[in-house]
Amino acid sequence: MISSINPSIKAIAVLIPGIMLGFTFDVFTPLLYFIFILIVTFTMSDIPISKWLKFFSPFLIVAASFAWMTILYANQTFSYGKVLFTIWGLEITEGSVITGCSLALRSLCFVSLSLLFALTTDSTKFMLSLMQQCKVPPKITYGILAGYRFLPSFREEMEILKQAHRIRGVHRTKGIKGKLQQLKRYSIPLLASGIRKAERVAIAMESKGFTGERERTHFHQLTVQKKDWMFLALLIGGLAVIYITSYYLGYLNIFGKQF
Amino acid sequence: MGNQWKLKEIVLMSILGVVFGIIYLAFFLIGQGIRNILAPFGLAPFGYEIIFGIWFIVSIIAAYIIRKPGAAFTAEVIAGITEVLLGTAAGPGLILSAAVQGAGAELAFALTRWKDYRLRVLVLSGMTAAVISFAWHLFYAGNIALAPGVIVATFAVRVFSGALLAGVLGKWISDQLAKTGVLRGYALGKELQKQREQGAA
Repeated sequence: MISSINPSIKAIAVLIPGIMLGFTFDVFTPLLYFIFILIVTFTMSDIPISKWLKFFSPFLIVAASFAWMTILYANQTFSYGKVLFTIWGLEITEGSVITGCSLALRSLCFVSLSLLFALTTDSTKFMLSLMQQCKVPPKITYGILAGYRFLPSFREEMEILKQAHRIRGVHRTKGIKGKLQQLKRYSIPLLASGIRKAERVAIAMESKGFTGERERTHFHQLTVQKKDWMFLALLIGGLAVIYITSYYLGYLNIFGKQF
Repeated sequence: MGNQWKLKEIVLMSILGVVFGIIYLAFFLIGQGIRNILAPFGLAPFGYEIIFGIWFIVSIIAAYIIRKPGAAFTAEVIAGITEVLLGTAAGPGLILSAAVQGAGAELAFALTRWKDYRLRVLVLSGMTAAVISFAWHLFYAGNIALAPGVIVATFAVRVFSGALLAGVLGKWISDQLAKTGVLRGYALGKELQKQREQGAA
């Protein structure tokens, strides 16, 4: 189960393929890897398909618009092949369509890798793991956790601000200038109260004996096990196999160079 | 990031990172909106570039308030982590992009040895972040496949946006915050206090 994989290793496991995908400009490689990630997502985790689709579907539009832009504005290296059609005086070639689809599929790979991580990882455990495995200073990780915890309270404070404005007769304003002023009226007090909270939390932490030393005990002891390394090997190895396959089938294209 | 950092400075930096992480996510949607508006005019590539500076702003704010080496870089990375934890289109690779942008912003402060925090340095910081992040996106987002004219034009827009939306706006927000008095315990608030005392004397 992916939710039990060590969060730091999981982060590395989705990060490295993310970088490696940056080299390809053909359709075959990212498409195959996208299918691979889908298989991993739905066989090894218990993310419901409906929930996954809810997060994923908006990015289809993003990816499509990304592809369209590349198709229109591809440079000479990537607009090889014959001209397919002309639009707004721009010649659309076979190569630019392939590059556009490749970049769109690449971004879909990024999204699905991201969801694979975000939907199976508990933020507290991720921070604990960053502290224990990646040796990130506890001051920073606990700081982030404290900041993360304040998120729900911002909404509450926004309500209070709105009510305070209303009781003092400050109304909604019209026009761009008014909107900007309104933005200032909300954002500065919200940030200011966030900063006050940061200060209070820091003092509370110190008064309760938090020194920020690395030599400390943890409520949750996270370890790296064999299955974590296997997961890492699976995601990276999967991409390596796909790269090799697409090389032998003659599809591989790295930075516009066909192999 | 050693002992010269006070805990409250680190917590402040983290909270700024988390808050701006959410703002960054919101601006992703805004960028998409602008892009859809510009698309019929054939200007879609500029949709995100116009507002790209906003994605460097936490670097400038954190560095300007705290004034310590590493503030610009770390705050940006924290914002990136927050975006990833909340779920983003760019994937976990966004943490890398954030690190690259943060390093770019930090570069300007490093050039002044973390001593000068006047407007021109903050603007420069927004611009260096834009330059470095642009180079990174040529590779990572595959922008290198675009036509040279488009690359040059988007580059110019991004640098301009970095100077304005990160540098100038970042300074303005920090100054507004300092006026409320909540930053009294931090470098920016202390400087303001000193100025006031000198003005009174």
